[in-house]
Amino acid sequence: MRFSGTIDYSTVVKPVMSTTMPEAKRRVMSLYKAWFRAIPTIMDKFDISVSEKDCRVKIREKFEMNRNVSDIRTIDLLVMKGQMELVETLRLFKTKSHVMAFFRDSVPEKPKDFLSKFLDGQ
Amino acid sequence: MAGVLKKTTGLTGLKVEPRPHKILTALYNRILLSLESAPKEAAYRQHTEALIKRNLEYVLTVKDIGKLEEKLGYQVEESIKLAENELMLARRMAQWKPWLPLETKPSADQWKWPL
Amino acid sequence: MLGRLARVALVARQAPLNRGAQAPALGRLLSTDAPSAPTIRRPDAPVRQQLTDVGKYAAACLPRFVQKVQLTAGDELELLIAPEGVIPVIAFLRDNHMTQFHSLADIAGVDVPARKYRFEIVYNLLSIRYNSRIRVRTYTDELTPIDSICEIFKGANWYEREIWDMFGVMFHDHPDLRRILTDYGFEGHPQRKDFPLSGYVEVRYDDALRRVVVEPLELAQEFRKFDLKTPWEVFPNFRSSEEVPIGNLDSPQGKIEEPKK
Repeated sequence: MRFSGTIDYSTVVKPVMSTTMPEAKRRVMSLYKAWFRAIPTIMDKFDISVSEKDCRVKIREKFEMNRNVSDIRTIDLLVMKGQMELVETLRLFKTKSHVMAFFRDSVPEKPKDFLSKFLDGQ
Repeated sequence: MAGVLKKTTGLTGLKVEPRPHKILTALYNRILLSLESAPKEAAYRQHTEALIKRNLEYVLTVKDIGKLEEKLGYQVEESIKLAENELMLARRMAQWKPWLPLETKPSADQWKWPL
Repeated sequence: MLGRLARVALVARQAPLNRGAQAPALGRLLSTDAPSAPTIRRPDAPVRQQLTDVGKYAAACLPRFVQKVQLTAGDELELLIAPEGVIPVIAFLRDNHMTQFHSLADIAGVDVPARKYRFEIVYNLLSIRYNSRIRVRTYTDELTPIDSICEIFKGANWYEREIWDMFGVMFHDHPDLRRILTDYGFEGHPQRKDFPLSGYVEVRYDDALRRVVVEPLELAQEFRKFDLKTPWEVFPNFRSSEEVPIGNLDSPQGKIEEPKK
């Protein structure tokens, strides 16, 4: 950060990375593509028992979760976190169980219709 | 001490400087030059200038290293390190301009505790 | 040494005569009278004076960034600064001849959700030369990044990663910002006040899948009662009277004595 003169910082929002919405969108898209490109590597390195399509659906789902975020700085922070996750995965900081934790495959599905909810005791 | 070279500074990684006067004079002069970018009434400039001018006076008048160290309060090698730091700081201060009046006022409850 | 002893003796002679203090220790333990005053460590007057001088000096040199200077707990100097001044203030404290805070002891975070800027970042510095410590405090919110001081103190790297991990405060220009304390894939920032004590997920070993699985935590209703009273603030009256603002910062250009070497 450089101090070139007097700036009223109370009125200036300090950007995380992007200053405009298109810029933030570009970062999101490049992260999305990076995750997609990493799928074969991840499947190879972690030996996980899911198909490539499952991975793509899961990544899509994770990005869709934050579809309604409209604040540029929030988007930037989410992109940063996603980037960190990707690095942790590709550098094998994570183990197989960490990667499989994305899929939540041990969690039983919540009952949806009335009868099964009733039988489940909820 | 004249002619007898100091063997060690007693500090890890800090080597004995055979010609401290030359280096210190150059460094102090450069600091004084850098400080000129600050306004005359800035406290940082006043205090630092006074200290550096005093030290420079010692360096110029006291030729014996042992006596110079006594005057400066530090070993000459330490003084060189300090002067290097101060020079970097003085140059960066010219960019930061910390002598301007307070820029951002805190909100009323920012420093209040317990709330 | 002799002077110190003499001073102690003087203090002892000048202290008001107190029956409790004069009585033997055993008698004091057994007596039913309430103690007249709590035993509080009294800060050394010269130390206080030196810290006051350092505080005034720093505030005078950096009026653009320093919002407030105060002494807390008797002899702990605090510099409360605006967030854009982190690098200038820390660099000044390290590199100036008269401060020389060459050692970064710690960086800490505080979360007070009621404030506009809920997070406080606290830098603890140590000057080995002058045997004194200073605490620099600044503030931010969830989205505003703070400038990283890794370029000034290499040791700040891990401390800032801890703050990022525990509070989710972003640091600008940090060379290697990533998690340090929580597990990979962990969601949330545990030291935030709105993070539930039990967390969001639980982790267990699954025999059928033969690996560790992460599952969302479901607490039974009877475990959802939370004791929201903090045990730390039971003496608020004591705490608020502790902070002593230093000097008149409206005219910071006043003459200030050079701190004693």
